[in-house]
Amino acid sequence: MGMDLIYAPQFEDAQQLVDLTDRISAWPELKTASKGHMTVATFENRLYGVPLYADVSALFYNKDLFKQAGLDPEKPPTSLAEVRTYADKITALGGGVKGYYLPGNCAGCNIFTVGPLIWASGAKIEAAGPGDEPLVGDGVKQVLQWTRDMVKSGNVHEGDRTENGETFHLQFGSGKVGMMGTGNFNITLARQQNPKMDFGIALLPGMAPNSSASFIGGDLVVVPKGSDRVDDAVNFMKFLLSDEVQVEVYAKALNLTTRSDMVENKYFEAEPLVQDVAKALTVGRTPYTLTFFEQINSPQGPWLKMLQRAYYTDDNLDTVIADAKAAMKTIANQ
Amino acid sequence: MYWTRRSRLTGIAYLTPALLFVLAFTAYPLARMVWMSFHKWSLITPPSWVGLDNYRRAFADDQFWVSFGFTLKYTAIITPILIVGGYLLALLVSRGSPLRRLTRTTVFIPVVIGLGVSSLLWYWLFSTDFGLINRALMDLGVISKPVLWLGVDADVSMLAIIASVTWKVIGFGMILFLGAIQAIPTEIHEASLVDGASWWQRVTRVVLPLTLRTVLVVTLVSVIGSLLAFDQFYIMTAGQPQNETATSVFYVYLNSFPYLRLGYGAALSMILALTILAFTVVQLLLTRRSHA
Repeated sequence: MGMDLIYAPQFEDAQQLVDLTDRISAWPELKTASKGHMTVATFENRLYGVPLYADVSALFYNKDLFKQAGLDPEKPPTSLAEVRTYADKITALGGGVKGYYLPGNCAGCNIFTVGPLIWASGAKIEAAGPGDEPLVGDGVKQVLQWTRDMVKSGNVHEGDRTENGETFHLQFGSGKVGMMGTGNFNITLARQQNPKMDFGIALLPGMAPNSSASFIGGDLVVVPKGSDRVDDAVNFMKFLLSDEVQVEVYAKALNLTTRSDMVENKYFEAEPLVQDVAKALTVGRTPYTLTFFEQINSPQGPWLKMLQRAYYTDDNLDTVIADAKAAMKTIANQ
Repeated sequence: MYWTRRSRLTGIAYLTPALLFVLAFTAYPLARMVWMSFHKWSLITPPSWVGLDNYRRAFADDQFWVSFGFTLKYTAIITPILIVGGYLLALLVSRGSPLRRLTRTTVFIPVVIGLGVSSLLWYWLFSTDFGLINRALMDLGVISKPVLWLGVDADVSMLAIIASVTWKVIGFGMILFLGAIQAIPTEIHEASLVDGASWWQRVTRVVLPLTLRTVLVVTLVSVIGSLLAFDQFYIMTAGQPQNETATSVFYVYLNSFPYLRLGYGAALSMILALTILAFTVVQLLLTRRSHA
């Protein structure tokens, strides 16, 4: 069966999935399979699945607004400082245009698009399990300060505060946002929504120049415990990872290949934007924790609370981070 | 004696389908929930007995009581709106005329839409960037910039949700009140007219007392529905800002399913169910007392 990769560790820990290590670990295809997927498909050095589908986050930028603001549309920002500088210039254009987008009420949107800014800045977010420390590294506070400054400087729309994920996919295509963290799914959506908009894709940067990261999401193929058809499932996994399927099924439909060595193909070459977003697979990661929903994805969880306090209040950031850390540790230690 | 036993068996035979239905869809799930509340169970691991631990945890869980307090506040505000509004609408459409019949139908149509669909519709209407409400208010000059209706200010969010729920359910109360009003014999209306009663006097001294039972039933249903509110808050605010619009059932849902704590969720559900039962009993006792 296919399952959201982010919850795989929980099911692996509960021994609800078939251990496939002896059947598949020697496959050469797995050497180039998405690192994020393989991380969460592994539990205590045992392998439980292979990638089924990949989503990655990247920085989408509006080339038309870049040109209007006097920025080079072929030179996207490579650091958060540059994002700020560019955003200031784009916001100065006025007319309801803002330089950046920060979803205020959506935990998932934020781990997808703000999480990589923290990773790219050398910091860690989630607690993997009992005893593990969350929110480690100076990058956490630096990125939170950066987001607070972006909000205070007026570089994001006020309405971003209400975004709970329902209209997230429509924001970039509106043409009113200069730069935005979003996913590969937005290439087609933005083209449908705003066919005349010229846009580019870059990697989500960190504090330091040329640092970058991405959130690798998507699904795994796994086998539930008790299945009578493990062999058939394994054959299907082999089929999915084959060269032919990677190119003629995934790439042809402009879906990301789940093997990084298959990114160079004729279909992606005809679609440079897809090729650009595929680069995110090489710098991407997937959070690994047994309590992802409660720590990160929950609307009542500490991750969203921390971000909302950083974006919209003047609370001391050390306190904000400490409070979130304590809550995430409590959850992870259950 | 033969006929008594036979008629007894016949009665049981007629009752059996309903009894089976109640056993399967009410008694068994309730018993199962009670059992779950005494266990630690994630659904993907075997359940383990923990006695009253879940209940002890629930009573010490600040977030649950904050959510419960918010749910009570929401219920206290929306219930009078639905009852008074529904009753006034029923009075308005109680006489037969084409316009009144059209009004009756128009007000009732949203009742048949699912609450989830209605909430999604209103989420989009209230959307800051794409919604029609802000657009209309700005075009009419009522506001100069978009209002952040959902997920920023708890009170504004609650009022927006109350508006959406009122639109959806007020027709239900209207129809029930309408039935009760139209059941009053015409002679009573005529007698009050002959006595020189004004419209207001007829409503307060004749119609309202004769429809009081229906008012109390509708109030009870409305209170229970509001105490169990979930869909509209899940979809429209997801409990934001900062969990200030998270209702009790929202919290029960999060614990039971995404957090995989079925046992704890069951304990929270039991506390909620017993509270609602207590409210219901008090309300029924007050109703009986008022009739006595």
